[in-house]
Amino acid sequence: MGQFYTFIFRFLFFVFLQVFIFNQLEINPYVHIMVSPLYIMLLPFDLSVIRLLFISFFLGLFIDVLSNTFGLHASALVFMAYLRPFVFRWFAPRDGYDPIKNPSIFDMGNKWFIFAFGSLLIFHHLWFFAMESFSILEFLLILQKTLPSTLLSFIVCVILQTLLLKKSK
Amino acid sequence: MTVPKSNYFTTASSFSGTLFEIKHSITKHFNLEENNRNLQIENIKLRSKVPSFLYELQKDSISVQDTIHQQQYHYIPASIINSTTTNRNNFFTLNIGKTQGVNRGMGVFSSKGVVGIIHAASTHFSIVKSVLTSDINMDVMIEGNGAFGLLKWNGEKPNVGDISGITNDIKIAIGSKVITRGGSGIFPKGLPVGRVSAVKPIEGKSVWKIEITFSEKYNSLENVYVINNLFRKEMIMLENENGEQ
Repeated sequence: MGQFYTFIFRFLFFVFLQVFIFNQLEINPYVHIMVSPLYIMLLPFDLSVIRLLFISFFLGLFIDVLSNTFGLHASALVFMAYLRPFVFRWFAPRDGYDPIKNPSIFDMGNKWFIFAFGSLLIFHHLWFFAMESFSILEFLLILQKTLPSTLLSFIVCVILQTLLLKKSK
Repeated sequence: MTVPKSNYFTTASSFSGTLFEIKHSITKHFNLEENNRNLQIENIKLRSKVPSFLYELQKDSISVQDTIHQQQYHYIPASIINSTTTNRNNFFTLNIGKTQGVNRGMGVFSSKGVVGIIHAASTHFSIVKSVLTSDINMDVMIEGNGAFGLLKWNGEKPNVGDISGITNDIKIAIGSKVITRGGSGIFPKGLPVGRVSAVKPIEGKSVWKIEITFSEKYNSLENVYVINNLFRKEMIMLENENGEQ
């Protein structure tokens, strides 16, 4: 039950962080730091897919309501949550996942986290910017936005984890 | 976004509006110096037009009840409480709403240039679809020769826009002023938009690719005015009546 409250608190914390800190930064048109994918990433391994999709939809909706993006975050997060089981299966360790552990950089190791979260983050950002532009003609702009944003989001997400989490026993 | 309840899912809703009001009360002083200077400059301009500040050349002039001029535009002052400039489509949240007379489709401008069009309004807040969106398509013209086209934004720099639809038989000087055309009745004619910074030919098309620099800096904007055209309903009614036949 304690874990449940942790995730509720973390939900609000990530909405706050995304809307009032990272959306206000406005570094330049090519760099958008998005930390909300980290919340979806850190949900437990044994969560059912339906719950996963609902949680990501509501997280996205909360952020959308507060940043005038009309469902962009919701769609990108649901897309990422849909891909999460596939990516996890692809990068699964030899003897499967331990349900006591969390999918964080501390529990699963640097290499696993870079590949699993990195690929999910690229999909999330690509979907987000593609839906935002919604035009094949702006293909170059979409790529120009996706690459630096993914890189920076990844770095920020790693830093956030070191602040939020500790290694579970 | 024409679904009636859709403004519950934007920052025009009272829930998020109130949150941003709190955020604004913290961050509103960040650009205070620049905003104050802009307002001061505007004040000086306006003051120079007030009759009591002008030298009277002719004493004992006869006062006339003005029946020639009727007020067409009504201005409502507002401040921006939340804005983005780096997304593909940027929306600004204003601290006024339907109670102050704001409605969907009204124009928004600042002392230096146009800002956008009201996209949704709730009781106490409203959101502006800024010129930094992909489908703003505002009708603008070039001062001097009167060539007109549609204002667009390519999604990259927040100070550079494009004008499409001006044919390449018209000569356009770099640096010429771009103003609103006032065709759709949202803005009065002649509000500044920016200056032409580059004119390039498009291969295989008979139109120019015109780049302009906006005269307003959207990322530090704070004080704006909402324009209510009192004759707009009449204009649209007339156009629809005659257009549908």
